[in-house]
Amino acid sequence: MLHVELELERRDLKVNVAFTVQPGERMALFGPSGAGKTSILEMIAGLLAPKRGRVHLAGRELTRVGDGPPVTVPPWARRVALLRQNPGLFPHLTVRQNIAYTAAAVAAGEPALSLMAERLEIHDLLHARPRALSGGQAHRVALARLLLSGHDALLLDEPYTGLDARLRRILTDVLRDESRSRAIPSVLVAHELGEAQAFADRLAVMDRGLLLQMGSPAEVVRRPSTKRVAQLVGYLGFIPSSAVSEGGASGPRGSSIGVHPERVRTGDARPGEIGMTGTVTDVRPSGTSWEIEVRIGDGEDSARLRCLVPDDPPALGERTGVAVTSAPWFDASGNLLEASPIRVI
Amino acid sequence: MAIIPTTAPEGVSRPLGIARPRLTTALALGGGIAVWIALLGPVITLFAHLSAHGISAAWSTPDALTPLLVSLEAGAVTLGILVVCCTPLAWLLARNRLPFARLFEAGLLATLLLPPLVIGLLLVFMVGPSTPIGHLLSHLHLSATNTFAALVIAEVYESAPYYVLGAQSAFAGIDPNLEQQASLLGDRPYRVWKRVTLPLAAPGLAMSLAVAWARAMGAFGAVIIIAYHPTGLPLQIWTTFQETDLGVALSFAFLLLVVALPLPLAAYAWSTRASRRT
Repeated sequence: MLHVELELERRDLKVNVAFTVQPGERMALFGPSGAGKTSILEMIAGLLAPKRGRVHLAGRELTRVGDGPPVTVPPWARRVALLRQNPGLFPHLTVRQNIAYTAAAVAAGEPALSLMAERLEIHDLLHARPRALSGGQAHRVALARLLLSGHDALLLDEPYTGLDARLRRILTDVLRDESRSRAIPSVLVAHELGEAQAFADRLAVMDRGLLLQMGSPAEVVRRPSTKRVAQLVGYLGFIPSSAVSEGGASGPRGSSIGVHPERVRTGDARPGEIGMTGTVTDVRPSGTSWEIEVRIGDGEDSARLRCLVPDDPPALGERTGVAVTSAPWFDASGNLLEASPIRVI
Repeated sequence: MAIIPTTAPEGVSRPLGIARPRLTTALALGGGIAVWIALLGPVITLFAHLSAHGISAAWSTPDALTPLLVSLEAGAVTLGILVVCCTPLAWLLARNRLPFARLFEAGLLATLLLPPLVIGLLLVFMVGPSTPIGHLLSHLHLSATNTFAALVIAEVYESAPYYVLGAQSAFAGIDPNLEQQASLLGDRPYRVWKRVTLPLAAPGLAMSLAVAWARAMGAFGAVIIIAYHPTGLPLQIWTTFQETDLGVALSFAFLLLVVALPLPLAAYAWSTRASRRT
């Protein structure tokens, strides 16, 4: 079990987080760049000293600052594996020597090394030098080295950088197998929602050094606890309740609904959906379909929605109906309203 | 070592950004060759003035090779001292682990800047027989003037700044991320140093050591003041020149070149190969 309570104060950033990751559990720290995600990993790995806080891993106290006698276990004794954005391969060693750098990897033996290299599709590179590798290859070599190092926790900082979709899937499978079979807690840092969702059982949304919401990936995406979380997980439009008058919907003063571009379509609302009408303000091709922008409401209360239309897009300036599925509803201060006040058609 | 391509081989396109370097290449090449010839001038002159008679006269006397052995032994001990004592200093300087690092660097530069002769004179004031250190040494039946130890001290003073400054830049060229990575993988600081820092710095260290060896073998200014005995090769050249003649003196210089050159040459060759590998 990995238990973390950390406070950090830097010129541009104040971090204050607390979370626990169970053995075998995979948690993703998701948030925009500069939210303090990497700093948290570095504090757990012992590269960065917190202002106050504690880190416990598998029954051992690794860090304690500000409460009782200070404890700081040096990085080499923490048994925490950290994959950094810079793969940090040793240029004077071959790929194989890099992977077999740790005593644990040597002890695991040749078959384990070959198997890992094959799974990560780097077995053809074992005799190459790091400088001959592409960015994506170097990253996978660093990961193989890390996974064979036999540590008690796995920390991954943007591990999917530079990998195509197929390799991302392979990497996800390898990471899942590894964390499950060895029953170690793992924490992944990502600034793309898809990466965080692909990896994690649990999603923690971070912004400006604070944890905003923690839950299953599906829950966080469907029921974001605040408007800010909704924005971070991809809700692009917020429609004031006063503009959602059609279909009899109405909510408290100042409240609004969040609209995700993947959960909205043009046309009349069906049962369970929220319907509204607006004016088409933009039409452009997007992939095999069309992306249109619709203005809902008038004057100060108006808001713009984007949605995808597979065929026959409406013309510019045309009035069109828009239907939204299971949209979260936020009060005037931006918090999620537990019970949707909307009267569904 | 960068080699400026003069012409691209057939079928190989010129790298972007190097636009027809005809004039600049010619100038650089011409300048380089001119400087090389100018620097080599004395060596060429040396060969021109060597005579079989001089060589046989110089090398056939009894004990003719003793100065050579003295020089080699003192040089080897000097290198040992540099490697053991100055390598950590260079690393500390490169990693900014020393308080007032600029002060240390200023000290090294001062040693480099002072004429070796002055260093020798100052060493007499520091470790000569009438100084506190001299007294202490004589109690131990040792002396830091006109002994083998004095020769080594003089050579260390003349070569250490070259080695430290070179080694410092070799260490500074290593990405500290790599050392951090090794430590994250479970290596204690000593193992990080042994498995990552040292191998990566080795080519640069070898180069600096080659330069330091050349300085130590040729050390003369400080040596003539505090270590007139035992006589090393540079001093042998000087006394032969004064007592016998130039021809015989030059044949000792030839000996110095022949014996001292292979080690730094080998270090250069190995260093170039090792840095090409990474």
